[in-house]
Amino acid sequence: MSRAMETSRTVTRRPDFTARALVPLGLFFGLALVFPFLPLGTRAEYLLQIAFFTLVAAILALSWDILARSGQVSLAHAAFYGLGAYGFALLGKVMPWFAAMPLAALIAGLVSLILGAVTLRLSGMYFAIATLAFTEVVRTIIQNLPESVAGGANGLLVPALLGGNARAQYFLAFGVLLFTALVSLAIRRSRLHHAFAAIRQGEETARVLGVSVVRYKLAAFFISSFLAALGGVLFAGKTFFINPLETFSLANSIAPLTTSIFGGLYTTLGPMLGATVLRVAEELLHNSVKNGYLVVYGLVLMLTILWLPRGLMGLLRRGKHGGEL
Amino acid sequence: MTAVSFQPSVASQQEVVLRADGLSKRFGGLLAVQNVTFTQYSGEILAVIGPNGAGKTTLLNLLSGVYRPTAGRLHLLGRDVTGESMEARCHAGLGRAFQIVRPFPEMTVHENVTVGALFGKAGVSLPEARERAYDLLERTGLAAHAEKAAHELTLLQDKRLEVARALATQPRVLLLDEVMAGLRPAEAQEAVQLVRSVQGSGVSVLFIEHIMPVVRDLADRVVVMDQGQVLAEGTYREVTANPQVVAAYLGTEEGLHA
Amino acid sequence: MELFFQTLLNGLLQSGLYALVASGLALAVGVVGIVNFAHGEFLMIGAFLAWGASAYLGVDPLLSLPLVAVAVFAVGALTYRVSIRHVLLAPELNQMLLTFGLGILLQNLALMLLGGNTRTVTTPYQGSSLSLGDLSVGGPKMIAFGLAVVILAGLYAVLYRTNLGRQMRAVAQNRRGSQLIGIDVDRVYLIAFGVSCGLAAVAGVLVATLLFASPTVGLVFALKAFAIIVMAGLGNLTGVLWASVVLGVSEALVQTYVPGGGGWSDAVFFLLIFATLVFRSFRGAR
Ligand SMILES: Nc1ncnc2c1ncn2[C@@H]1O[C@H](COP(=O)(O)OP(=O)(O)O)[C@@H](O)[C@H]1O
Ligand SMILES: [Mg+2]
Repeated sequence: MSRAMETSRTVTRRPDFTARALVPLGLFFGLALVFPFLPLGTRAEYLLQIAFFTLVAAILALSWDILARSGQVSLAHAAFYGLGAYGFALLGKVMPWFAAMPLAALIAGLVSLILGAVTLRLSGMYFAIATLAFTEVVRTIIQNLPESVAGGANGLLVPALLGGNARAQYFLAFGVLLFTALVSLAIRRSRLHHAFAAIRQGEETARVLGVSVVRYKLAAFFISSFLAALGGVLFAGKTFFINPLETFSLANSIAPLTTSIFGGLYTTLGPMLGATVLRVAEELLHNSVKNGYLVVYGLVLMLTILWLPRGLMGLLRRGKHGGEL
Repeated sequence: MTAVSFQPSVASQQEVVLRADGLSKRFGGLLAVQNVTFTQYSGEILAVIGPNGAGKTTLLNLLSGVYRPTAGRLHLLGRDVTGESMEARCHAGLGRAFQIVRPFPEMTVHENVTVGALFGKAGVSLPEARERAYDLLERTGLAAHAEKAAHELTLLQDKRLEVARALATQPRVLLLDEVMAGLRPAEAQEAVQLVRSVQGSGVSVLFIEHIMPVVRDLADRVVVMDQGQVLAEGTYREVTANPQVVAAYLGTEEGLHA
Repeated sequence: MELFFQTLLNGLLQSGLYALVASGLALAVGVVGIVNFAHGEFLMIGAFLAWGASAYLGVDPLLSLPLVAVAVFAVGALTYRVSIRHVLLAPELNQMLLTFGLGILLQNLALMLLGGNTRTVTTPYQGSSLSLGDLSVGGPKMIAFGLAVVILAGLYAVLYRTNLGRQMRAVAQNRRGSQLIGIDVDRVYLIAFGVSCGLAAVAGVLVATLLFASPTVGLVFALKAFAIIVMAGLGNLTGVLWASVVLGVSEALVQTYVPGGGGWSDAVFFLLIFATLVFRSFRGAR
């Protein structure tokens, strides 16, 4: 509506994104794939275990991020992770793992639709507190059910995943993370990406522009919780044993959030990088400090918010807007 | 500028695109919109004017579904949409530009418009939406800013973005809330051209405006609001000659002939 | 019937402590506009300071209480200066996450320095009890309730009778407007946040005498404070008192009358928060 009207030049049509953006992701997965074959020496078993839990942490962070992209900053991730773990512990006794795993995730996904539906109108701290309260409700229910059902406060034994073969378990986790990343990329390339971003940045405006907010918010919940539950299955199947207090702990909701923010919100690579750096740092600290090594999570979260609001990804892609994967 | 004025007899043969019957909205003790009734015909440009606080923006919020009316009904293209959501109204053909601009701040200008194109109408694919968004940026003079972050725009550019994004939803009826406020005369003239071209493509426009020359040049019909009610309705000439309207504007900052 | 009244009394006494924690949180939310997820950790600091003073210096918690309050006020003010202040204009998400980070940091710092054990404070009035007709009340409980009432009365007197209090309420209602009429908003924020933390710490001292000090002792109180301010309506300071009584009493009733009450009372409580939030959100629909 000014001079520019007369001179309305044509715009250079830019592609939504280029294949080059996939290179870092490819590198990450390439390294993760060859990791078990590296000459790791005497500590191979230990390192493989750390790598396994790094993959699980990445799955949780990335799945949390997918939900956050739609503006829903959830503290219920532990609930869906836990439902996956418990679902697998119970279902794994009566069916093979490859059936129990998706079924447990499906159950978590469906339960998340209930939470998603009742919290539709909540945002910000209200949403955060409601999701936190939901997690506690789920935990207390599982804890107070008769011990014969879900083990009560003492917890449950879990069928070992893949017969306890550490290498096979690692590759299963690798596969689940790859799947999660592919889902994340598919979202990035689809209308979901635009719907999520619009809802996050202005829900009412999005609706006036025709975005069916309810549908997309619930879709985000389902996808995120399904994937988180797969992470829960991996965790439970690796550790043989789960209990409500640890599985549904606030720490399990906060870790994926911290990881995503540290790595770089609303990206595919960011949460995976964040998980890698934080898991390794945590392990080093755990060995040297023992108690309270989670200090680093708090510090990282604070420093990231204050100094590095776009996380590690912000360092990698200084000053660029859009086009991120 | 030839002001095309519909005679009511001619207009009544036309398709009704928007019909408000006794719309009211109460905020606590305040009746912001009171029993507002009007009809808009296809292809018509309708202006809503009135002093600040008259309830114009609230009326637009009732039309686009941001608020549910306390009383009254709304028909859009022959369909009762009173109880329908914002997104349903958008899909049915209602587009809106906000008075207080609301770009999605972390998206580029092009992505902002893409959202409108992608979700405003069913069956638009992502590549189509992106292409349409580029076209609209060219049409609204934002071509040079396509890849900028929306929060980097000036207010004027933000207003153009509002319009471009609303147009991207392919509306049959476009609601514009003071999109020309703050423009210089030459810029306002270009905006007038844009609205004309929008009308030329078969869209009916309902706009709120304070700049009276713009209202005179553009509006086929004018609805005057005051204190939530419709004070007068008719051609620009008719309403500006109406003593009640003149009285309502007396003593307000804007005056009638700003 | 006697059991019923005893239950009511227990609930009421408990609510004094809740109101103390929740008033502090409401101050941070209402005046500064920050939801402080680290509120429980300031309580924890208060509890440990009281324990430390008692265990190492032999100072009774009731005597160290004023000092603890002032010390944690200073910690809160410092926290505001170096962190909170920089996110006042940032998105709500960033604010939440910052205080989250602070909470994790403080909690784990305590865990690192002091270990995860619970520390109890011994006081001469520990085993004492007071009987009122057929009802009896533990001495520490009664003292804690009395102190909570006195401190809350002081807080409300400051808020409603002093210039500073008026400024706080003005800022809570309209930040821009307050700035225009010459209120030093930044200073008001600093004081409000400091007082908020100080109140949490005072509650922490009382918690130390009633229960124990531990790195995670604050969490459950912070959650209850959230529930209370949500029930009261954000930033509504007087509502906090009523909501505290409602929560305290209903909790006591569940514990007394619901079979296996201990385990389920948490669920009831969280269900209450959840339902309140959801109900409010749908009622507020346009
Ligand atoms: N969400 C709201 N809550 C309460 N009052 C409102 C709200 N929106 C508008 N109002 C009041 O309704 C009246 C009409 O406002 P508005 O429609 O914005 O006027 P206009 O756009 O004609 O200047 C004003 O008195 C305004 O303060
Ligand atoms: Mg207006």
